[in-house]
Amino acid sequence: MQRRKFNIIPVLFLLPSIALLLVFVYIPLIQNFYNSFFDFSVFSQTKTFVGLENFKNLLADKVVSVALLNNVKYAIISVILQVGIALVLAYILEDKLFHRVAPFLRVVYFMPVMISISVVALLFGFVYNPQMGLLNSFLELIGLENLKEVWLGNPETAIYSVIAMSQWHSIGFVTLLFIVAIQKIPKELYEAADIDGAGKIRKFFSITVPQVREAIFVNTLITITGSMLVFNEPYILTNGGPGFSSTVMSVHMYQTGFVKDNMGYASTLAIIIFLLTAVLALIQIKLSRTGKDD
Amino acid sequence: MKRFLAIFMTVLLLALTACSSSAGNEEKKSSDKDVVEINFFHRWPNEPRKSFYDQKIKEFEEANPGVKINVNSVLNDSYKEKIRVLVSNDDLPDIFSSWSDSFAENLVSSGRIMELDNILAEDSEWAGKVIESQFAGFTFDEKKYGVPFTVDGKAFFYNKEAFKKNNLEVPKTYKEFIAVLDKLQDAGYETPLVEGLTNAWAISHYMGTIFQRVVDPAVTAKDYNVETGEFTDPGYIKGLEIFKELTDYMGDLSTAIDHEAARNMFASGEAPIVYMQFAEVKMVEDQGMKDFGFFDFPEIEGGKGDSKALTGAPEGWMLSKNAPKEAVDFLKFLTSEETAYDFTKTDGQLNAVQGAVDEGNTSPARLEAYELVTNASATTPWFDNAVNINIADIFMRGGQTLANEQTTPGDIMKEVQAEAKRLKK
Repeated sequence: MQRRKFNIIPVLFLLPSIALLLVFVYIPLIQNFYNSFFDFSVFSQTKTFVGLENFKNLLADKVVSVALLNNVKYAIISVILQVGIALVLAYILEDKLFHRVAPFLRVVYFMPVMISISVVALLFGFVYNPQMGLLNSFLELIGLENLKEVWLGNPETAIYSVIAMSQWHSIGFVTLLFIVAIQKIPKELYEAADIDGAGKIRKFFSITVPQVREAIFVNTLITITGSMLVFNEPYILTNGGPGFSSTVMSVHMYQTGFVKDNMGYASTLAIIIFLLTAVLALIQIKLSRTGKDD
Repeated sequence: MKRFLAIFMTVLLLALTACSSSAGNEEKKSSDKDVVEINFFHRWPNEPRKSFYDQKIKEFEEANPGVKINVNSVLNDSYKEKIRVLVSNDDLPDIFSSWSDSFAENLVSSGRIMELDNILAEDSEWAGKVIESQFAGFTFDEKKYGVPFTVDGKAFFYNKEAFKKNNLEVPKTYKEFIAVLDKLQDAGYETPLVEGLTNAWAISHYMGTIFQRVVDPAVTAKDYNVETGEFTDPGYIKGLEIFKELTDYMGDLSTAIDHEAARNMFASGEAPIVYMQFAEVKMVEDQGMKDFGFFDFPEIEGGKGDSKALTGAPEGWMLSKNAPKEAVDFLKFLTSEETAYDFTKTDGQLNAVQGAVDEGNTSPARLEAYELVTNASATTPWFDNAVNINIADIFMRGGQTLANEQTTPGDIMKEVQAEAKRLKK
């Protein structure tokens, strides 16, 4: 067998993206690892080597545990709603009964995705306003005054209010991905099930769910990593407060670096976020054995 | 593989030179026409100040045809963050606005800020016009790094009508203040005192003043310095208890609204008392509220601090070390009596230039405030500018959780002490 000659052309095509990835992703990543061993401020031009000091601080930092827990809450709720409910929504929208209104509903669900998250956060600032906000006014209207709440000002409800907003914002996107996946399922499967007398629920669990397994995997992965990296929503809506009650890891990192000016420690926090997302991705890939046929 | 590497390096080099050469071209273009570009960065993208500075830039450019001013502006917290990033590299704007004290000090520590002593000495006519006492917040190691422009102070604004209706007098002591708040509450005000606690800085303003009243100035001087800070004085706990007591009059709302909302509640007559800056007088007036007065934070019984000091600090302008001399001219223009007079007339905020505030350009209420500021026995800088930001952050977040009854003053102080110890290392 003749050895194939090394072909330079495909490599040339890849070069621009490799260069960009190196400059904007991999080199900063390595720099960040390096920085986490130092104590330095943006203002000073000198760095002090502190070894593992920043990592030790991590263990003593109470905010980290609060933030991590908030990220986990974010992930759990997002997976249930964005993957679970979105799949059901997509199934319903693709049902014959809804054929007429489906396009309209699809637009309704997808609309929030199109709006910038900063705008959405400002909007929900009004929705949650305790005095004249939509939510409290609505509760009053339907006679549930005693459920009225200082949504963003109460440490018990702040993080959940933020999470709820994210769900409203992103569920349309996941639904759309599921709709595409459901449309790819061969019609014959459903027809055969109809002949066998299967109901809608049975068809959902026996045909739809197994057929869109790949999409479920991808969406779960997107949602969980998204929840670990979430920043805009809590930052704009509550700035992590009151206290640290709605702080997530990336907000903590940002504030440590740019507000409190502990750049070294912020780099350490960035490593934690990186490791978390990397490990999660690995576990997911391992568990779902994606890309391989059974 | 070697060939591959060689090609890779060439492409990378090409890309890099392409980037740098385009930047070089731009510079050349501007020097061809002999136009000096000045980068100007301020923190007022909102009106009326944005238009005011846009107008002043136009005037300056007309008077100096060889100068082009590029202006950029972002609001408060974003400004703090952006200027930090800019100061860490050489992109620092030529002239920019800055808060005084620790904020300015941090910027100065970058070594990229211009010392102004020589410039001030050379033009004593201009420099002598700026109120000397206001330079303190920009002076580090006996060198001046900024020119103060706006002056400010913090006081309780009160609704005169509400006070008259309930036969209330302006309180002189903290006990009297609480009595006033109780009476207002009894009179039906849900929030006799209002504040938006989602703004951490609003909390820090309270704490700074309270500590200033309660704690011995020698102790705060020692504690506010990172090298010697311990925060073991029992006065801090008392101060936090006072803050907690005040938040009890702010209602459930306070932790969910921001300062602007609180100001609106005062302006609409919904809340009779609010702790505000003199810079906000015009905003309140513009919203239709005319019948209000102010009183300084009352004396706290048994407090060891100066009961007559005023919390407040100026803001000013700083120059980058590499700024061209035209930027200095622009600085002089911005702080000239004429600009300052116009500024107070348009914006309502008081300024640090002598002769630029009189009854012709400001309301009686603001003139009263101006005298309070210029005659105060001493001014205390904003708390978040007076202490290390890590310490301030614990107090500010602590203030939020204190209002929510999720923590105690003792716990906050334990955290502060631990942080002070860590910072000392």
